[in-house]
Amino acid sequence: MSAFLAHAGSAVAQSGLLPEGLNVSFKALPAVLVTAMLLLFLVIGFVFKVADTEGMWVAGRSIGNVENGMAIGANWMSAASYLGMAALIATSGFYGLAFIVGWSTGYFVLLIFMAAQMRRFGKYTAPDFVGDRFNSDTARAIAALTTFLIAFVYAIGQARGMGLVGLYIFGDLGILGLTGYQSMVVLMMAITVGYLTLSGMLGATKNMAVQYVILIVAFLAGLYVVGFVNGYSTIVPQLEYGALFAQLGNEFSEPFVNGGYYLWIATAFSLVVGTCGLPHVLVRFYTVESERTARWSTVWGLGFILLLYLGSPAFAAFGTDLYANNIGPVYGDPGMTAAAGDVIVVLAAQLSNLPTWFVGFVAAGGIAAAIATTAGLFITGSSAISHDIYKNLINEDATQRQQVFVGRMSIIALGVITTLAALDPAAPIAALVSYAFSLAGAVLFPMFFLGLWWENTNRQGALAGMTTGLVIWTIPMINEVMPNYGLLSGAAGSDGIVSAALAQWLPAIGSALVAVPVVFAVTIVVSMVTAEPDLETKKLVRQCHSPEPMSQQQSAEDVVSSDD
Amino acid sequence: MYDNILVPTDGSETSRAAVDQAVDLASKYDATVHALYVFDIDATNLALGTEQVERIRRGKLDEMPEVKAEADDATGYVAEVASEHGVAVEEHVTGGEPARAIRKFIEDNDIDLVVMGSHGRSGLSRVVLGSVAEKVLRRTRLPVLVVDAHGEDEQ
Repeated sequence: MSAFLAHAGSAVAQSGLLPEGLNVSFKALPAVLVTAMLLLFLVIGFVFKVADTEGMWVAGRSIGNVENGMAIGANWMSAASYLGMAALIATSGFYGLAFIVGWSTGYFVLLIFMAAQMRRFGKYTAPDFVGDRFNSDTARAIAALTTFLIAFVYAIGQARGMGLVGLYIFGDLGILGLTGYQSMVVLMMAITVGYLTLSGMLGATKNMAVQYVILIVAFLAGLYVVGFVNGYSTIVPQLEYGALFAQLGNEFSEPFVNGGYYLWIATAFSLVVGTCGLPHVLVRFYTVESERTARWSTVWGLGFILLLYLGSPAFAAFGTDLYANNIGPVYGDPGMTAAAGDVIVVLAAQLSNLPTWFVGFVAAGGIAAAIATTAGLFITGSSAISHDIYKNLINEDATQRQQVFVGRMSIIALGVITTLAALDPAAPIAALVSYAFSLAGAVLFPMFFLGLWWENTNRQGALAGMTTGLVIWTIPMINEVMPNYGLLSGAAGSDGIVSAALAQWLPAIGSALVAVPVVFAVTIVVSMVTAEPDLETKKLVRQCHSPEPMSQQQSAEDVVSSDD
Repeated sequence: MYDNILVPTDGSETSRAAVDQAVDLASKYDATVHALYVFDIDATNLALGTEQVERIRRGKLDEMPEVKAEADDATGYVAEVASEHGVAVEEHVTGGEPARAIRKFIEDNDIDLVVMGSHGRSGLSRVVLGSVAEKVLRRTRLPVLVVDAHGEDEQ
């Protein structure tokens, strides 16, 4: 594994995670700003909660392309996009571009192969799709567990992001003898779970549009102002940062210096397939008005996402240069730590000697991004438990109230385990999030893709494929990530990795490159040697591709059943 | 004395406990029984996701067969018991936070008696869920007959 991750993996001493150079102290103006922002979320959530519970139900209203696209953008862009991407570009240069490439290419695959077909299939949740397409409760259970696991792993990165950014705003609180970073993680996660409970889930989702606006304005304002006051750029910082290449050194701009060619491809591939397998992304396509809306909202969503992505390398370049001028050499030993990298966006604003309220605003954008995505993830995770496992498998007669109970409990459980895992995180934000993408790509993507495109995929094939995917994903996680949490740490070397050779060819950050072809092969072979699925299921798949447009809000199931 | 009797139901044993009492009262006073099923926004959200709440809000129940079947089941049980006793019955489905939705229905439909079951929750589940019967009791000025789901076991 390349130097930068080993760098981040000097993790045992990380409990006192402290970004060097960041001004860690309580700052009144930014604190007021962030508190006001959190209160705004609560008020909006509450207003929508009341409006909705009063039951203003309008038949015929529907979500348009732009609105759905904005929701996709807000749900999607997390602390990993806001902070983590610039962080990896700053610490590992060219390697970080794998994230921009992977995360935007994923949407093209989604657009071409899955968005409209998903809409035609018309189900409620991702495990619902797997369970119904393969007629198997076991498949549904595996998909639901995977969904829960994705929400958990993904949220660790968000907690780390909020914890680090919170340090700038609130300083070292030292709650209960925890370090400053750990106190912020506990505080921020408590706020997030409390906010989900108070504003209601629907309020949380309505907030996403507001959160998108805050995060994109904060990011772009930060980028333009930092570029302008330091004389780096004027109107197109997205291009002008190229002029800095000579100053930043080879580590920043030369391909494959940090992280080789294989690792680059593995990471990018994992992120592409992961994007297409993430339950909280796919869910946006089940309910839109028509296939056309499904396609166009993908395009809008990608557009909203690119507003941030195109600026990210520029922000990283500005931050890296400011770090080199003010703090010390970025590369080499000791170099920029992963913790400082993860706040490079905030650090860049701080090092530009901008007023604290402005730096606080940039930091607030990161918190907004993390909260929006964590809310979406926790909703998906709770639905996997309360709908797919509890209601469908454990207690079929469950009433709505019982589902609420199970759902709320799973949100609290998610909050607690996420907080614990984030107290001493194994890797930088972007890497933590990529583990979740590897999982989604390895287990869920092949099931959606084959399930939608090859009618002969059957139950046995799906079960074998998903199990294989889970196993292949788990191996590098044990190899690289578990030692950080004390498991197998005896077997691990000084860099926290058990087998360096395994980590090179099956990196946790990009394990889907190996997993996806293997899972496809296993699923196809097992499906071919076992009995074909029944005609009903095949008709369902054919209906997803029929050139005949379906009438609005019809699903494949309706069309098939009206045929008979 | 009573013309319109409301029976809120979620299809559970708890809510069914109230049906017999309601139908009995209705036949004595020649009243109409209104069976009401409320899609609980929180439940839909936690279980199916916010996108499905949008779907329900848009009134697209026809494309959610499983969800609709549940509502029909719940109100259907009330209708069945009522018609066995020759009592006039109407089935209704609405959505929102249960206690609020029930209150709103009462205001819009000239209801003069509510008969509903109560679970008698305690401990953790009471803290997390609260009691719909209790909230309805506090928020309306109507007579509310609360039937304890466990009451019959003791007799």
